[in-house]
Amino acid sequence: MASQYVFPAAVAARIFLCFTSLPEYLKYDQQLSTPLTSHLRLQEGIFLYKHDIDPYAGGTLRHSPLFLSLFTTLLPTSRLPCSVLWTLCDFAAAYSLVRIWRARQRVSSSSRDSLIASLYLLNPYLALPSLALSTATFDNLSVLLALMFASEGRTSLALLVTATATQLSIPSALIVLPVMLLLLTDPVSHLAVPRIFPVKLSRAIPLATEYLAYSVALMLACTTLVGSWRWIPETWGASIMLPDLTPNPGLWWYFFTEMFDHFRSFFLMVFSIHLVIYIMPVCIKFQHDPLYAAFILLGVLGTFKAYLSLADPGLFLSMFAIFPEVHPYLRHPIVTALLHLHAAPLLPLFHHLWLSEGTGNANFYYASTLVLGLANGAGLLDAVWAGLRTAIGDVEPKYEVVQE
Amino acid sequence: MLSSLFSRCWALLLLSLALWTTSTTAEGETPEKQAADFFGRHESTSGHTNNWAVLVCASRYWFNYRHMANALGMYRTVKRLGVPDSHIILMLADDAACNPRNPFPGSVFASSSRSLDLYGSHVEVDYRGTDVTVENFLRLLTGRVSPDMPRSKRLLSDDKSNVFVYMTGHGGNEFLKFQDSEEISAFDIADAFEQMWQKRRYNELFFMIDTCQANTMYTKFYSPNILATGSSQIEENSYSYENDADIGVSVIDSYTHFVLEYMERINKTSQTSLQDFFNAYNPHTIRSHPGVRSDLFQRPLSDTLLTDFFGGVAHAEIFDSSSSNIDFELDEEFASKWQAVYDDACNAETSSDGGDAENSSERVAQSSIRKIGEKLDLSPGKWKEARKWASVASLGALIAWAASRW
Repeated sequence: MASQYVFPAAVAARIFLCFTSLPEYLKYDQQLSTPLTSHLRLQEGIFLYKHDIDPYAGGTLRHSPLFLSLFTTLLPTSRLPCSVLWTLCDFAAAYSLVRIWRARQRVSSSSRDSLIASLYLLNPYLALPSLALSTATFDNLSVLLALMFASEGRTSLALLVTATATQLSIPSALIVLPVMLLLLTDPVSHLAVPRIFPVKLSRAIPLATEYLAYSVALMLACTTLVGSWRWIPETWGASIMLPDLTPNPGLWWYFFTEMFDHFRSFFLMVFSIHLVIYIMPVCIKFQHDPLYAAFILLGVLGTFKAYLSLADPGLFLSMFAIFPEVHPYLRHPIVTALLHLHAAPLLPLFHHLWLSEGTGNANFYYASTLVLGLANGAGLLDAVWAGLRTAIGDVEPKYEVVQE
Repeated sequence: MLSSLFSRCWALLLLSLALWTTSTTAEGETPEKQAADFFGRHESTSGHTNNWAVLVCASRYWFNYRHMANALGMYRTVKRLGVPDSHIILMLADDAACNPRNPFPGSVFASSSRSLDLYGSHVEVDYRGTDVTVENFLRLLTGRVSPDMPRSKRLLSDDKSNVFVYMTGHGGNEFLKFQDSEEISAFDIADAFEQMWQKRRYNELFFMIDTCQANTMYTKFYSPNILATGSSQIEENSYSYENDADIGVSVIDSYTHFVLEYMERINKTSQTSLQDFFNAYNPHTIRSHPGVRSDLFQRPLSDTLLTDFFGGVAHAEIFDSSSSNIDFELDEEFASKWQAVYDDACNAETSSDGGDAENSSERVAQSSIRKIGEKLDLSPGKWKEARKWASVASLGALIAWAASRW
């Protein structure tokens, strides 16, 4: 069958792409990397650090100090080794997605493994940021590793990797609760048979304590590197205070370019709380399947994150592969797919038209970000609907399912 | 024999001694005198520092092609001798080059050989078409322009400018016809020049006019430092020089042709005086009697160079620096701090090794950056290497710890 060639072809394609000169051009692209994930800023920060200047003093570096410590000690910084490293991270992320799938299906291997891995490796929303050397690859890897360890029941590693994910990108804190719930239950699909959360919630307290301990330890490691606590407002504070209004495919930047200072703090609070308020309802509604809750919350992140790049909806779309039970109940997958096909070329086109050619203006690009938001929202809503609809199952033709 | 040789040697010795003493006593010149000597070397004492040219062609329509060629030829000459476009005001009807009747579109020639295209590469016309009016011309000269007039269309001369005003067109007894619809009189121009003098808008002014009965146009001037010349006297026409059979009209006027040919023989460093120029006037070849009015002009014409008006040769004003009140405010403390940083870096480098210039300067720069970082409290602090590895090691320890637990 031809399908058995998909995975080797995907691997070969990714290896081939990392040896081309694409990263030279892609690392400037604003769709693939944000001020929080851009490789150029990371290199600037490493340079400043090596020359004894505080890299967080100027506002260029918004990466976590963990990146600084790793890239100034163990990891390479030149272009080709970096491309190889990023490709290996993508392979590791694809592998952890396959492990999540296997844990969910309770098998040690299945025929769909290669398909799932290929869907991760060949997803352009994930492949292009990886080629652009955006650190969103590491963010996605840490999230998937956290979910993998949680699915396999390895408590400490799951909580450590979740703490690392939060350290690298504070909006990833949305998945902390689903990870803890997943550790307390199992990753197996209960979407068709919802039940009340079977375990007493007080058993989550030691998990939360361990998570906080790991977070504090990582914060101390970061502070040791930087020498002060200056990195906190520069890295984590950036997602909350939005100091850098570089255009990105997200929904925040345009809103805040035209925001009067008087209302800025209010709306920053509104937007940040908007992300946080999804945690409890989603986890309550999907308490029978915390992995699906994590999936939904990753979709929320992929739509409403402060500094969005294409890698965030990319993770959400690739994770559709591990929930085949909801596929029959998706109401408009074609609409979602077409919206994404529409938004993805429109974003770089209007970006170019606005900032390179000068024949467009910011409203063009804002419109394309709205289309991407629509695409993400359509996918998210469809996933929520399908996840809940699975519980109802097949319906006799003379009945229909309505929402009260 | 020997005594004459001996006396010759003595004479030579005395002469050299005299020369030597004069040269050494001349060393004590002041800088002002040296600069004045340098700048005054080409012996013009006009005292101007910049040159302006106002070139006006007051005719329009195809059959006045030669007036267009007059003005463009003068424009090219003035530019060649060094006056920049920013100091040339060119007023043309500009309807010859792109005229539908022009068999050589986009070109204006001043001779039937058509060897030089005057409209070719870079012609900046400031007032074109219907903008060439008497009012605009007088406003330009006197400086009474509306605030929205762009700088390129203003005569921004000052009291040290030598202004060359050239006019060509159809004229008569004390008048000049503008664009076939209005006329300017000699009185108007004289009053405009007086306003320029009172407003200190020129140092010296050279007025040249090529029309019929041109000399009548300068009879009414009454302001100082004006030198004027015209192509023909009263009751006399100015004639064109030659026709071009393919273009179909006359291409240049006699007087202007003579002037341009004369100017082709000089360049920016020329010492040709205006007296030489006026002496070269030949009424026979020009076919009219050109005139000169120099009673208002205070310098002798033999001391006045052609490049004083036609070229862009500049002098410099020397003033004593101690009398100027330009005061540079310097943040002394900041400057000394930076100086100290740089000195430290340089001393560190020179004391460590005598490496080659490139590397040492780069190392100086790097150590300066480091010290600047320290002084501005930007440095990550001491033990950077240890802290770096400590953070990586703690991360590894955390991973090992978590992996060991279940």
